[in-house]
Amino acid sequence: MSDTLLEVRDLVTAYGKIEALKGVSLQVKQGSITCLLGPNGAGKTTLMMTIAGILRARSGTVAFAGREMTSLRPHAIVASGVALVPENRLVFPAMTVLDNLRAGAYQRRDDFAPDIEKLFQRFPRLKERSAQLAGTLSGGEQQMLAVARALMSRPKLLLMDEPSLGLAPLVVEEIFRIITELHRDGTTIFLVEQNAHMALKVAQHFYLMEQGKVTFSGDPGSLAEDEVIKRAYLGSAK
Amino acid sequence: MLADLVQNTLDGLAAGASYALLAVGFTLVFGVLRRVNLSYGPAIMLGCYAATFVHLHYGAGLLALAAICVLASVAAGAYVERLCFAPHGKGSAIAAMVASFALWMQLEEVAMLALPRHLYPFPPLYEGGPLAFAGFTVRVEALVMLAAAVTVCALLWGILYRTRFGVAARAMIDSPVAAELAGINVPRISMGVFALASAIGGLAGFLISASVEQVTPMLGMWSTLKGLLAMMLGGLGSLPGAVIGALVLGLVEAHSQWFLGPQLRDFIAFLLLFILLAVGPRWIRSRHG
Repeated sequence: MSDTLLEVRDLVTAYGKIEALKGVSLQVKQGSITCLLGPNGAGKTTLMMTIAGILRARSGTVAFAGREMTSLRPHAIVASGVALVPENRLVFPAMTVLDNLRAGAYQRRDDFAPDIEKLFQRFPRLKERSAQLAGTLSGGEQQMLAVARALMSRPKLLLMDEPSLGLAPLVVEEIFRIITELHRDGTTIFLVEQNAHMALKVAQHFYLMEQGKVTFSGDPGSLAEDEVIKRAYLGSAK
Repeated sequence: MLADLVQNTLDGLAAGASYALLAVGFTLVFGVLRRVNLSYGPAIMLGCYAATFVHLHYGAGLLALAAICVLASVAAGAYVERLCFAPHGKGSAIAAMVASFALWMQLEEVAMLALPRHLYPFPPLYEGGPLAFAGFTVRVEALVMLAAAVTVCALLWGILYRTRFGVAARAMIDSPVAAELAGINVPRISMGVFALASAIGGLAGFLISASVEQVTPMLGMWSTLKGLLAMMLGGLGSLPGAVIGALVLGLVEAHSQWFLGPQLRDFIAFLLLFILLAVGPRWIRSRHG
């Protein structure tokens, strides 16, 4: 339980001259739900996109299961067992729900039909709408689809960027129920959330990020929740 | 009068079928890469020149020439992809387009160095005259072109909707970033789409050259213009739209040639595009930003 699955060390990512990540270091332990909190513009999404290989790090390293993967292309990172559910879901709007899942299985060479069946049991709404274009789904359904698509690659580590963003409270609860289920089934989860209250309920460990740096890390309970929330939303007053 | 209209419509559909083949290839590349490949036509021209070269020096049957057109177009297309499109990645669309213009000039020079005369004969697709029925005439070449366009569209649909490669290509058309996150090998699929588009273009080039029974270096520019025009008429990036745009272009050209004279044929086609871009429905003007 205690070995490190994802190790980020001194990661610097920049847009032109502006450094969005100014040397981020953190670890995600095998079998955990680890949560990353922080105000808007802290660099959380940049970190996720850098781990997934969409953005190139200027310096620093990302290691997954002990293997350096900073220079890998995104598809190779997916093949090694890391999948990102991106911010704003990014489903394929002009493709059917079923084709979205097939696209998520692109790296798989084995028969993935049983996986689709399993995911349809977990997300019955997706089964009902399997022939429907993803762009016509509601926000919550698109989020389920984005999660299901990521799971099609059978990731060992699931990265989730703001999965509750813009969703109704009931749907948010459903998303978090799914997160705990996935965790129970053995998937390690690294979660970026604005909803600190929900995130701290499910996470075993959390990091606070502000202005491109990790400023605090601890277990839920190591800091009063309202203090965490204050910092996560407003940044620490200095 | 009515007989003329019908005959012109038949001729227009035949021309439209050849434009459809060109436009479908153009649209595939545009859809997947969001890039205009000006060297699309010149790569096809080079394929046809390669076939002409083999025909003149060694002699070869029509089927062999068709295969050479397709293979040489794919090779030239892959060359263009490596030099113009792969290195720029998510970078500047303009840089890629200008680079593809530079390769256009290069491919034309290669063709003219290999076969320096302005015009070379290409073996005919069909030796006999046109078919006549009910007072109208249809060239056999036109029927072959139409059949080829229908077959290619059906095959393409099968590839896009029934294969793993097709799922990946459509995913890239839909959302390139999401495609990368889904684990799709984007550079490989780009290359595959380029090769597929070039193969369709090569087939179109062969059929066109064998219909007009000659090749000139102008075939490159002609193919790029017709493909681009048909794609834009059909709304950028839509494959069914490209086919419809190509048929519309063929019909407009055939009718305006008859009523207004051959000098105004291309003028009318571009005028139509101008009007559509200026005041046409929004989906024509702003598809894919």
